[in-house]
Amino acid sequence: MRWWSLIACLLILQACREPAISWPEDRPIEVKKPQFFPAFDYPSDNRPTTLRVLLGRTLFYDTRLSANGTTHCGSCHVLSAAFTDGRATSPGMAGIGGNRNAPTLANIAWMNRLMMEGGVPSLETQALAPLHDSLEMGYNMMHVVERLNRDGDLTALAKKAYGRDSIDPYVITRALACFQRTFVSGDSRHDRFNLGQKDHMNVAELRGKELFFSERTQCSSCHSGVFFTDMDYHNIGLSLVYTDPGKARATHKAEDVGKFKTPTLRNIQLTSPYMHDGSMSTLEEVIAFYNQGGVPHENRDVRIQPLNLSDQEQADLVAFLISLTDWNFVQNKDLLPLEGR
Amino acid sequence: MKNTFLLVGFLSVILWSCKDEPEPPVTTTADVNVSFNALWDDQPFVMQQVYMDDFGNRLRADKLMNYIAFVTLVAEDGTETQLKDFMLLDFSENNEISATLPKGKYTQLKFGVGVPRDYNKDQDPAQYPSSHALSVAGSQGMFWVWNTGYIFAKFEGKCDTTGTEGAELLTPIAIHAGDEISYREFVSAPFVLDLTSGSKSMRVNLHIDEIFSPVNGNDVDLAQDAITHTSTNPELAADFMDNYIAALTVDL
Repeated sequence: MRWWSLIACLLILQACREPAISWPEDRPIEVKKPQFFPAFDYPSDNRPTTLRVLLGRTLFYDTRLSANGTTHCGSCHVLSAAFTDGRATSPGMAGIGGNRNAPTLANIAWMNRLMMEGGVPSLETQALAPLHDSLEMGYNMMHVVERLNRDGDLTALAKKAYGRDSIDPYVITRALACFQRTFVSGDSRHDRFNLGQKDHMNVAELRGKELFFSERTQCSSCHSGVFFTDMDYHNIGLSLVYTDPGKARATHKAEDVGKFKTPTLRNIQLTSPYMHDGSMSTLEEVIAFYNQGGVPHENRDVRIQPLNLSDQEQADLVAFLISLTDWNFVQNKDLLPLEGR
Repeated sequence: MKNTFLLVGFLSVILWSCKDEPEPPVTTTADVNVSFNALWDDQPFVMQQVYMDDFGNRLRADKLMNYIAFVTLVAEDGTETQLKDFMLLDFSENNEISATLPKGKYTQLKFGVGVPRDYNKDQDPAQYPSSHALSVAGSQGMFWVWNTGYIFAKFEGKCDTTGTEGAELLTPIAIHAGDEISYREFVSAPFVLDLTSGSKSMRVNLHIDEIFSPVNGNDVDLAQDAITHTSTNPELAADFMDNYIAALTVDL
């Protein structure tokens, strides 16, 4: 009798693993981007398809990726805050708090290297970092693999999307990257103004724009191009002593201490607090800092100098920065968690 | 007619007996087994056992692992045969390589300690199958996720540097050596490994006592430095790796 009970239990368990969802056929997709954004070369083994994006979207919001099942990627990268989380540093799975401010993921596909010291070459490899960091998701990829392979629906989706036998690190890292490459933000009022819709910026914003691109402020020498970043690393004189060495953490070079990757300014209105450590709460505070010229750290970029901006000019710069917000991006339902999962 | 049959039968027997006997296949290869062993004062090094080093520090190891790359035997004519591409040595377990080589005499063993740049910098461990030493599973945490690259060698444990007899070991040791500054190549002293007559074994010995000692020219004194993640203390990482290489010997 006991054997029959055991067999019945095994059959029930097996039934739990069987996929309940019939996933549609996979097909290649083209991620929509503004015409003025540069073309993007996808990795040859991770071109976007409907099911790959769907799988990545599912995983991005899946708490099974954290050790205690409380945290997912979207916990620190919240769409309404342009994929930041409004905190100086994120609490992470253990509630301890990390060392750095959560960066925006908007247009992450075009960022040449990832992490603030640029230590990670691709979105695929980046997926391992928060997952293994004890201050973030505090887990281990192989445990995640084990957990996820118990989910018959997810396993079936992964097989269909990537043609592999099961969910493995390759599938997880590729799918997360594929979804994040759909985080395209290029529809701010400033973008519309540049496309000829001149009524999308007011006088104060236009004055701020002129200042931003001027030789006087040199804001645009680092915050350059369509993404408002030169993708390089600079010490802006934020501190005389850096507890976080920035780029030097990766390069071991004294001249790289305090250098952090220039962040994009797109959606900057929504990504407070600011700086690598979230030490400034408002855009007004940030502009006042640049106006003052920072502190004389030996690695401070030569362009960081007192600007002698008037209160009105500082307010105009803030107004310009606010015109870089893409409200359609932060309300894009395709980037939210799937309903029912 | 009867004689004809007899003749044919006789010739058949003769011809059959003239046919060559099948010869046993000529063996042109031999097996070699290479084991990697940690020693302290020429005795097997025991994880979590307390030892005293040449600086008077008492220490114990909780974890001792390192990558080796392209383990190669060099024949006396200079021909090189690779036994293994990558292997993660974990000195809490047995570490052995078994390989089949062309018969002959071999005179040198060489391998990298760490992971060479082309397989390290900006590489993705998820690209490898789980059975591979460089895969996510195979690397067993020997990978920096924030600055893509493998941890070449890891020594973790505790020590007491006060010189107080019987004091509890409270100071953590965490030596994580990686990045290009930590890659080293080991080339053994010449030897003669005769694989002409059959299979052989050889031992690669890592003399841990010589790592924590000035004997090899670099002071890895735990009282001065006991923690490096390479970027936080590149000098200690480099000294550790220099001593590691110098502390390797080969026994036949």
